[in-house]
Amino acid sequence: MQVKLKIFRYNPEKDKKPHYETYKVEAEPTDRVLDLLEYVKGYIDGTLSFRRSCAHGVCGSDAMRINGVNYLACKVLVKDIKSSKITIEPMLGLSVIKDLIVDMEPFFDHFRSMMPYLVNDETPPGTERLQSPEERERFDDTTKCILCAACTTSCPSYWANDKYVGPAAIVNAHRFIFDSRDRAAAERLNILNDQFGVYRCHTIFNCTIACPREIQVTTAIGEIKKAIATGSLD
Amino acid sequence: MGLNRRVRFFAGLRYRGGGPMWAWMLHRVTGVALILFVGTHVFASFFMQQTGNDFATTINIIYESWIFQVIVAFIVIFHGLNGMRIAILDIWPRFQMFQREALWLQWFIFIPVYGLTVVILIQHGLTGGY
Repeated sequence: MQVKLKIFRYNPEKDKKPHYETYKVEAEPTDRVLDLLEYVKGYIDGTLSFRRSCAHGVCGSDAMRINGVNYLACKVLVKDIKSSKITIEPMLGLSVIKDLIVDMEPFFDHFRSMMPYLVNDETPPGTERLQSPEERERFDDTTKCILCAACTTSCPSYWANDKYVGPAAIVNAHRFIFDSRDRAAAERLNILNDQFGVYRCHTIFNCTIACPREIQVTTAIGEIKKAIATGSLD
Repeated sequence: MGLNRRVRFFAGLRYRGGGPMWAWMLHRVTGVALILFVGTHVFASFFMQQTGNDFATTINIIYESWIFQVIVAFIVIFHGLNGMRIAILDIWPRFQMFQREALWLQWFIFIPVYGLTVVILIQHGLTGGY
């Protein structure tokens, strides 16, 4: 089948404004959108720029807007798009460096502000810090985050104000707040109990729908809102 | 370096978030409309009673006409039901796994309630009300 790819193009060294370019590409229904981008870059226009690394939905490098919604290009098959016209654009809410590449630094700044590491100053036991299966299950969903930014850049609250920490940072805070081995839950909850913390979330669900790892992002944010309101992690 | 991060209004609208995103946008629009219409009605009623101002009286006649009430009923009922859905999902996050079903349930309640309200308003309007 022939697919018409309409791709957002912007080269800061040449272009004053972004524009779209259209490429006609032969594709199999089982091809991924990333394969089509690779084809364009390899055989039609080598100046096309996009991020990719593992190409298997693990590294989270190739998140972009595909026909108007955030996906990982390596996880979307042509047959799943149900259209022979595919529009590919960079994610919203982060500045575009070139073509489909966005500046991820503001996103990682918010991630780092959540102290995304285990905090426990108690004397380590002789063995591992043990945890029951139930205690592990409590935060299992949020361990799956690959920091692709699909959730944060699908959030209208983040589009409106980039001071909002965004869903991905909150998901990674959740991963440690509800970890029985961690001792900095109160500190993280205090960071999130802010006008640019969890209260910017208006329960829109764009983040949950966009997450390529199917993390229940809005539920994680809701659990943190509840923990702040009740003062309890139960 | 690069393009500004600013998300323009229409670029945001083009994002295909689906039903929940449209419900949120409609919630915002109906919220603003509620403040605008009900606020205007309250002020108009005050001036109509206190001064007999013709402009205020005209505004109230328009507001209380059955055609306008059909619009106001949509705004009030949608905003109320959607607000309840969001409040319930925020208070009990575990129900969020049923968020799609919650949205369907909201419309399932909205359609008969609004439909009945419209029928009553039209009946009232056609039988001698405004």
